[in-house]
Amino acid sequence: MRLNKPTPLRPLIHYAELSKLVSRLKIPVHWHVKKLRRGDVPGPEGRLLKLRASVTALFKYERIEMDYYPADEARGYAERLISEAVRNGPQCPETMEMADWWLEEKQLVHKLFKVLVPRYQNYPTSYTNFYRAPFWYFSDGFQPQLNEEYPDKEINETIPAFRTVSYPKGLLELKGNPYPPIFPSKVTNPRSIQNVLLSSAKDFYKSKEGGSERLSNAESGRGIEFVPNEPKSDENLIESSK
Amino acid sequence: MRRLLVHQPPTVNCLWRETTMAALRTRVGCLLQGFFSSSKIPRSSFDIRFDGCVTQVRFKGGPATPRFRHPVWHVRKERAHYPENLTAENKEFIRETISQDFGPPIVAHGVKTYDSPLKNIEKIEPVQWFPGIRRTSTIAKKIGIQPLWLNDGTRVMTTLLQIVDNHVIKYNPPDQVIPLRRRHKVIPKKVLGKFGALIVGAESADPQEFTKNYCGLFRESGLPPKRKLARFLISPEAVLPSGTPLNAMHYRVGDYIDATGFTIQRGFQGVMKRWGFKGQPATHGQTKTHRRPGSIGGGAGHRVWPGKKMPGHMGGRHRTLRALKILRINTEYNVLYVTGQNIPGQINSYIYVHDSLSHHRWVKDAKDAWPLPTYIPTETEVPENLYASDVHPFDAPSITYEIVDTPVVRTGAKIAKAKGSKK
Amino acid sequence: MAFYVSRLSLGLELRRLGCKTMRCSGVDCRSSSSTSTTLAPRSLADDGKTDKLGRREKKNLMMSESVDKPDLNLRFKYPEMFPEPFMIWRNPVKEKLERKDMLARRNCISIPEFYVGSVLRVNLSNIHQPDKVSSFVGICIERKETGLRASITLRNVIDNLGVEIKLELYDPRLLKIEVLRLERRLDPHLRYLRDAPPEYSTFPLDMKPDINRSDEVPLNRIKVKLNPRPWTENWHKIEYKGIDESIDDLITNKWKARRELLRKPWEKYDLMKTYRATLPEEEMEEILTEIKDDVEEHDRKHSRRQS
Repeated sequence: MRLNKPTPLRPLIHYAELSKLVSRLKIPVHWHVKKLRRGDVPGPEGRLLKLRASVTALFKYERIEMDYYPADEARGYAERLISEAVRNGPQCPETMEMADWWLEEKQLVHKLFKVLVPRYQNYPTSYTNFYRAPFWYFSDGFQPQLNEEYPDKEINETIPAFRTVSYPKGLLELKGNPYPPIFPSKVTNPRSIQNVLLSSAKDFYKSKEGGSERLSNAESGRGIEFVPNEPKSDENLIESSK
Repeated sequence: MRRLLVHQPPTVNCLWRETTMAALRTRVGCLLQGFFSSSKIPRSSFDIRFDGCVTQVRFKGGPATPRFRHPVWHVRKERAHYPENLTAENKEFIRETISQDFGPPIVAHGVKTYDSPLKNIEKIEPVQWFPGIRRTSTIAKKIGIQPLWLNDGTRVMTTLLQIVDNHVIKYNPPDQVIPLRRRHKVIPKKVLGKFGALIVGAESADPQEFTKNYCGLFRESGLPPKRKLARFLISPEAVLPSGTPLNAMHYRVGDYIDATGFTIQRGFQGVMKRWGFKGQPATHGQTKTHRRPGSIGGGAGHRVWPGKKMPGHMGGRHRTLRALKILRINTEYNVLYVTGQNIPGQINSYIYVHDSLSHHRWVKDAKDAWPLPTYIPTETEVPENLYASDVHPFDAPSITYEIVDTPVVRTGAKIAKAKGSKK
Repeated sequence: MAFYVSRLSLGLELRRLGCKTMRCSGVDCRSSSSTSTTLAPRSLADDGKTDKLGRREKKNLMMSESVDKPDLNLRFKYPEMFPEPFMIWRNPVKEKLERKDMLARRNCISIPEFYVGSVLRVNLSNIHQPDKVSSFVGICIERKETGLRASITLRNVIDNLGVEIKLELYDPRLLKIEVLRLERRLDPHLRYLRDAPPEYSTFPLDMKPDINRSDEVPLNRIKVKLNPRPWTENWHKIEYKGIDESIDDLITNKWKARRELLRKPWEKYDLMKTYRATLPEEEMEEILTEIKDDVEEHDRKHSRRQS
């Protein structure tokens, strides 16, 4: 039993805002809203400003690597923005105002309506991908160009270890981006061990002796002895590898 | 799935416990020699206890502390999912195998399950009630809260408990069962041999989600693996064969039940919320003291009692709410409408539903007995909604009150006359 | 009576409910700063077609183009059919069962279309009355909760005393709900009538129903002038469209300065907050498809009964 977090509070308004029409998002939407720390502006406003920077960067570079939880939050906003744009188009003044606020660089507003909306017009899935990225190691070195706080420091300058924190990282990308894919395309290899074993099991059960064994097991009420991780016999392996 | 035998070979935990307890025992024995007579009490390898009472626990009836380790008899349930890159034929083969074993996946009674092809389900014979007989409980899911109105217009808030695809997995006879929830130092002989343990599972799931060991628990019964398992103590007469489904008809409207659940997690809470302390006044000179516990002890103890109520983690405990009346049963979705809106547990969490053990609501006569050992379906069709006699169904016309002529009772008291009126 | 009738009829405008005013609002359309609640944007793109209500045809071809799509405007007629969007407490089976119960009740009694600002008469079974029936006329100032817990608050001023009654719509003791005046107001609730002169909340108990010949629900754009402070709630904090600008004369400069600090102009850009506060369109359509046939049948049955 873990000491779980307390359940989030029910909102004060106990009904749905029916006047708003929104499209369903195809990403998991968490109820916990992450508080993000920001130096200059505190509170919910600062949180939105920080997310705005992330969303702008995502639209600009189409693949960004940042801290995991802020990236998770930013993903929702990026998806919502694209969903609004696809639904309403640039003619709607509210959507245009939204895009104008969320995208700090104005060329990205053009990109949203002219490039991304036609790209995502008929997408049945989510518009973004979100992966866990490797943690930052101390041995990765100090990279001041990614960190605005230390403009005078040199690359790989030694920094005291106690001031470093290692947060989980996330990788957020727009689907259909021009870069090479993060994971190689899934090619199912029929010669890999799990496929070899499964296909031989299938052949065994389809054959007469296998079928009779299954029948007797089913009648006695006993479930099938299905053990996909154990090798059946050497003969089958040899036969299938030929 | 607990199969504790009385004479258990000592595991690592037991050995550790025995050695430390033995050491403690000798020390305590030396200290308290002459105060308590312990020579008559028999000892065994399982019998580990102190020679006498060492500590005075003020808060005796305290709740069981939550345990953080899996018991030794639990098997690992969930497995890590990794990309296997199976060919389409192999995936189809797995799906076919599952379908042949458990039936095709369907949605029945509002729950995702399998259309089970179990052929050899034994026929259940009704059992004669006798005082003290205990039948099986069920695993339900708390799905929400909604109001119901009674015939006199009273509004009652009810919790909906959906009995999600319960099946009997196994039965352990009384000689193989220790019917206690905690590790007792001595297992009282009177509890042994009385109740058997029926293992019930709820919510069928895809075997690919679980480990091979966990799926193996269901192999004998031929059932699909269940998300939730529970052990219920029953009289041996009320035994059910493996594979028997349990549904909402196991209960009747008007019955009383106890609902056990795992309470909502509230995190680290202060003393006012956790224990209901009154705190201090907001004004009148209170310096930084409004929600504090105040005094934590008297003068005589010279220490703080163990079990003193203090701030700490609140929630996440197993609690039972007693004597809840079933006002309505929906037989299509297996939902019980039960009085009360404070059943322990978050919505969509599992609740154990037992026949009430409350003395006021305990069944005392054979004619009031619930269906024993469970509901045996007959050929007559059961209506979708069954209501208790005092419940107003929603499809009935609006409630109206009868105008009853109450006779005017003259008590002989003086009746005031208005000024100027004549007699 | 003529006094308050003339006051309330000031600024009566015929306005089609729902789509025209609320379209293109994935944004909080109730925010004070948005001025586009009056007209729907006309599409200028060649590919998008507009119908007579100003709705753009959906370019989003993801959504299945089923033959019999329910009219989304029905969501304003049956707002309690939609569950609360707090996803932790949601369960599809429970919502389905609750809707069944609601439809069963609607079969027995007519729960008509009304909005906050409409004047209703309700007949209740009351055990404490000698004839066991009580009747109340009042303006609906609030519509709360969803499902079988849906409740309304009716307000009237009787013998110079403001009276409010909170009723549950699905309470079986409700014998009849009659809409005397069907209209909408600018705000989601009218609790500020408690701090307004009684003329705004007074309705005769023997009021006859207003005959509304148009299909559209009229929007009453009346601006209420509040009484001097103290108030029951801080009406100045939220920008109510139904409260007159003279509220500024009733509050101090310190309060005005404080009000500026309370403004949250960033909230309308919080896309996820608005998403979590509402149900997606696909879900609304699913629910409306489920209830559509039943509610149509109920409407026909009850209108036949009335006529």
